[in-house]
Amino acid sequence: MMISQVFILSSKGDRLVYKDFRGDVGSDAVGIFYDKVTALTGDQPPVVMTHKDVHFVHVWQGGLYLVATTTAAASSSPFAIIEFLNRLAALIKDYCGALSEKTLQMNFALVYELLDEMLDFGYVQSTSCDVLKNFIQTEALSARPFSLFDLANVGLFGADTQQSKVAPGSAAARPMQGGKSEIFVDVIERMSVVMGANGVLMKAEVEGEVVVKCFLPSCSEIRMGLNEDLSIGDPQLRGYGAAVRVDECHFHPAVRLDEFDAHRILRLSPSQGEQSIMQYRLADHLPLAPPFRLFPAIEKDKTGRLLLFFKLRCDLPPKSSAVNVSATVRVPKGCVSLSQELSSPDQSAELQPHNRAVVWNIARFAGGTQLSALFKLDVPALSSASTLEVGPVGLTFELPKVTASGLHVRFLRLAPAQHRGPARRWVRYVTHSDSYAIRI
Amino acid sequence: MQEWANQLCENRQFGSKMTDSKYFTTTKKGEIYELKAELNSDKKEKKKEAVKKVIASMTVGKDVSALFPDVVNCMQTDNLELKKLVYLYLMNYAKSQPDMAIMAVNTFVKDCEDPNPLIRALAVRTMGCIRVDKITEYLCEPLRKCLKDEDPYVRKTAAVCVAKLHDINAQLVEDQGFLDTLKDLISDSNPMVVANAVAALSEIAESHPNSNLLDLNPQTINKLLTALNECTEWGQIFILDCLANYTPRDDRESQSICERVTPRLSHANSAVVLSAVKVLMKFMEMLPKDLDYYGTLLKKLAPPLVTLLSAEPELQYVALRNINLIVQRRPEILKHEMKVFFVKYNDPIYVKLEKLDIMIRLASQANIAQVLAELKEYATEVDVDFVRKAVRAIGRCAIKVEQSAERCVSTLLDLIQTKVNYVVQEAIVVIKDIFRKYPNKYESVIATLCENLDSLDEPEARAAMIWIVGEYAERIDNADELLESFLEGFHDESTQVQLQLLTAIVKLFLKKPTETQELVQQVLSLATQDSDNPDLRDRGYIYWRLLSTDPVAAKEVVLAEKPLISEETDLIEPTLLEELICHIGTLASVYHKPPSAFVEGSRGVQHKRLPGSSGSGESVESPDPGSATATEAPPAVIPSQDLLGDLLNLDLTPTSTTGPPPPSSGMQMGAMDLLGGGLDSLIGGDLGGSPAMTAGFGAPPAAVPPSFTAPVSGGLDDLFDLGGGVGMPVSVYVPPKTLWLPAMKAKGLEITGTFGRRAGVVQMEMTLTNKAMSVMTDFAVQFNRNSFGLAPAGPLQVLTPVSPNQSIEVVLPLNTVGPVMKMEPLNNLQVAVKNNIDVFYFSCQYPISMLFVEDGKMERQVFLATWKDIPNENESKFQLNDCHLNSDAASSKLQGSNIFTIAKRTVEGQDMLYQSMKLTNGIWVLAELRAQTGNPNYTVSLRCKAPEVSQCVFQSYEAVLKN
Repeated sequence: MMISQVFILSSKGDRLVYKDFRGDVGSDAVGIFYDKVTALTGDQPPVVMTHKDVHFVHVWQGGLYLVATTTAAASSSPFAIIEFLNRLAALIKDYCGALSEKTLQMNFALVYELLDEMLDFGYVQSTSCDVLKNFIQTEALSARPFSLFDLANVGLFGADTQQSKVAPGSAAARPMQGGKSEIFVDVIERMSVVMGANGVLMKAEVEGEVVVKCFLPSCSEIRMGLNEDLSIGDPQLRGYGAAVRVDECHFHPAVRLDEFDAHRILRLSPSQGEQSIMQYRLADHLPLAPPFRLFPAIEKDKTGRLLLFFKLRCDLPPKSSAVNVSATVRVPKGCVSLSQELSSPDQSAELQPHNRAVVWNIARFAGGTQLSALFKLDVPALSSASTLEVGPVGLTFELPKVTASGLHVRFLRLAPAQHRGPARRWVRYVTHSDSYAIRI
Repeated sequence: MQEWANQLCENRQFGSKMTDSKYFTTTKKGEIYELKAELNSDKKEKKKEAVKKVIASMTVGKDVSALFPDVVNCMQTDNLELKKLVYLYLMNYAKSQPDMAIMAVNTFVKDCEDPNPLIRALAVRTMGCIRVDKITEYLCEPLRKCLKDEDPYVRKTAAVCVAKLHDINAQLVEDQGFLDTLKDLISDSNPMVVANAVAALSEIAESHPNSNLLDLNPQTINKLLTALNECTEWGQIFILDCLANYTPRDDRESQSICERVTPRLSHANSAVVLSAVKVLMKFMEMLPKDLDYYGTLLKKLAPPLVTLLSAEPELQYVALRNINLIVQRRPEILKHEMKVFFVKYNDPIYVKLEKLDIMIRLASQANIAQVLAELKEYATEVDVDFVRKAVRAIGRCAIKVEQSAERCVSTLLDLIQTKVNYVVQEAIVVIKDIFRKYPNKYESVIATLCENLDSLDEPEARAAMIWIVGEYAERIDNADELLESFLEGFHDESTQVQLQLLTAIVKLFLKKPTETQELVQQVLSLATQDSDNPDLRDRGYIYWRLLSTDPVAAKEVVLAEKPLISEETDLIEPTLLEELICHIGTLASVYHKPPSAFVEGSRGVQHKRLPGSSGSGESVESPDPGSATATEAPPAVIPSQDLLGDLLNLDLTPTSTTGPPPPSSGMQMGAMDLLGGGLDSLIGGDLGGSPAMTAGFGAPPAAVPPSFTAPVSGGLDDLFDLGGGVGMPVSVYVPPKTLWLPAMKAKGLEITGTFGRRAGVVQMEMTLTNKAMSVMTDFAVQFNRNSFGLAPAGPLQVLTPVSPNQSIEVVLPLNTVGPVMKMEPLNNLQVAVKNNIDVFYFSCQYPISMLFVEDGKMERQVFLATWKDIPNENESKFQLNDCHLNSDAASSKLQGSNIFTIAKRTVEGQDMLYQSMKLTNGIWVLAELRAQTGNPNYTVSLRCKAPEVSQCVFQSYEAVLKN
């Protein structure tokens, strides 16, 4: 595990940060990397690239390339390097509020100082915010001061609730030093579903994490209660009932679990900044029905057009709704034009011939409702096999205030003594689609 | 910019001050001037801002080295922030300004004594990063203190600094005893210090492959395991990687380490998880499979691997590459997790392909239905590459899981119905493979295939289709028409299709001779007369002659039953897989290449191997040291670049005899001596007869009986023995075969061998073993120049291809008329072996006794005269211990190896044998062997004009007498 250099490049290839740790790779590596990464085609794995005996590992975050080089193929782990680069990105965000070209240019001295403490001779020393803050001298400069105007900028969760109760999506994007004492707990889930043509659920998987972003001045302990009926492990091991279940979960090493087994309470003293305190996974037996079902009908009309009639039903509870829903339907090769009939005006659809796809966008989709659409496609070389080329349908969406696993934060308590004034606590839930496919 | 930097250097050489360089006025005058002024400002804030600006310029690649003295002036400050900035600058430019860097040394040394541990650590850290040789000597004292510092933060920084210093000046580190201090730090109370010490030692140990720096024993392992629980995630990675290099003594120790490592599997950092997986995969090898714990461990390994797949696509890809290795080694770990490898429609293509590969590897009877349903779905996706691979995967399933073959075939037929061009072609290619695995089972589908003949435009698909038509010609009514239609554009086809078409038509002719005579004539003439492709022409001629001389034999050859194709095709070969398993989680595992593939000879890379498994505790005990050294003696494999120069000039095609050496002036002095000096004086006497004999034995192999140069295979060994047995009562000593070329170094080719002398011919006896996954052919051999001019007397006769896991015995007759060069040791022989895969190099040592010629018996008088003639300083005395033969038995045994006893004397119970032998190049060696009755220790005195050979001759004595 020896990192030779770390550098951060803008999307245009400008050096923003460059630090050499071992002196065994020349600084021309920066140019070589940029040439290579921009020459990559979409079907090549981008993670690891090689030039002579130099290996490049990079991540792409916030429109920037974070790159590490190494010459030791036998002892360097790409996992470790990617994890490290992701931590670096997270730390920069924690310190500077955001990871962008501008914040880096303003805070390069701070970033160098961080790098100096994080890596020594290419060995990772520490990536923990708590440890590092003992050594860091430079003050961060924020790209823009945090202002109340941001509250108007309603993010993910602001769909229809009273503004005062909802923290805006951008509220947590600020430097950790200074500002209000606040704590954000986000429960973020990603959902993968494959549904067969007959509506049978073939695969369902939820990956989730609990992220804490802490702006409290001192590290007071917090206690977080999860669903009391949360069970972990094999469904066969625990009888029946609608309890919330995950297959497995991991915790951040700093989380104390002494009350977890009995009361499902997590105790931790979060360090300032963002950290993922719990990650979990759940496969197959989801507590709720999958959020969307599709009822397709495909036929050819007399004029030789291909008709796709879709009914899409949202099976969320009536009070919830999905936003930014987009269904991508694959259509036969050689489709030249599309005419559509949609059931309401806030939907839209377009044909993307190069992707062989029709994309149907639905801005908002309330639970318990159903939408329908009729797509008429002109396919000049329509054959009997063409209908086989239709489908599958891929859906992307966001489900604000919903967790597919049913995981819930019952309470969030801060130890009282440590700080002055009440701290604001925010708990937010969201489920994203990771890969939601319905076969036809 | 570059230009003025150059100019700047010149100016400096002339002693002029750089500041007045006129180049500043033209380009960046203002900026540098301004910065210079600000750096020398009295105000701290201003100084700090200026240094920041300098560093900003440095980052974007501007050369600000001109400001070196001004920046260094800012170093002495109590402001930590400013100090750090200055150090940052120093690290970057010290290398280019070594003399200036010395200026900073005093401040460093002072800072290393600072009461603030942060400053002490900062100083020692920065000093190590200044890669200037002169500074290192100033670094030693502060480093020594810091290694013993009371503050762990300083100690952990100092531990890394030892590695830095070692990188600059390894000798210095050893001389100063820092390595021992570093070893002591493994027992430090602070886990962070332990982790850094382990990391530093691991790196240093890498450049000393044989040193025992990381002295891993149960006690240190225990310390490491304790530190593992306490240190940071990054420290855990260092420690786990270090543990992976340890080989436990027995399965119990192995299990206890595994037990203490398994909790790491649930760590949130995937690098920790992978390092733990590596340790477990390696130590699992030692656990007996019937152990309960083994099963438990298998179960524990699955969830963390599955979790890795929830990461972002980049990490997923890396994880999949590793899982691919793990699945090949131990498919049982993930056999129930098939579903997680189903592709998502929005996965990037590289992830999809990798998942598909793993799906096939995990396919079994239990899950095949599920897999097939998925694959069929994939075959209708958009991405062409992925669809092709999915179709191919269906075929692989059919071949792997016999019960599913029928379903696979019908799935493929469904896909052919879609008429999507590339799907049809891919399907036909895999159906051909299915036919080869299950002959005469699914011919009913041929009609459907034939319908799609016109849509095939890719050579591979066309060739596959033609193969099918030819193979089943008797069941296809219009086979001749179909093939004829291909023949029209014969010259536009690719070679693959042409060859296939030729064979198919010949098959057709043999099956339906009456109506296809014209067709076969047409294709034969197209192939032999109108084509300029030698492969095609040769194959055409072979068929032609076969058909014209003996049609029955032709039928037997062409329509012979073909071997079934094997189940798994693209497995990684086992030796490479073992090595890759030892590198799980590293870059090597992503490329699926051994680490040595990345290093070009500069740094030694150790090949790692998995420890052997054991049934019980006892059997792991290391074998007794004697046999261990015998079996584990590292085979000398020549680093390729040494020999390449010499050998590339040689012709590696299997030639017949190498001609007599050209009168080479490049011969080395030692060789001249061996050849010239010895020969003159020894033969110059009245040794009649010997020149003739020399001619007889040293001549090119024309003189060798024809049977010896005939194709040699195992059976001929007996023949040689017979020939040898006639002339000599005692059999020649032939040392046992030793490993010359391990499979690891030669892409799966393993060579063991020995040398012998049978019926006056020196020969090299080798066992070639194919440990790779593919057939090996086209063997050839060459020797480098050597001390006695040994050269192959004929080509290496490997007549049949060597299939995987097959071993063949080869005997290569040698002559001694090759080019001569003195080797060190004298009997060293460097060999190059070529096959269809690559050229490999190794070196071996031959017993010099095989060069003792049959006419090595000297006349008594001549012996006496020669013995006196050779100066005393040319005599070498050796002790031969533990030889329990009496002198007569020894004498007859030695005679078998052409060491002739000329006279025997017995004085006071001591037998003295006087012996002579003659080497192929005419050098005589005289010997006196003293044996005391009842004393197993012999004394051998050797006299020779060329005393260099004595040592080797004695080794032969030892070998012959002790076997």
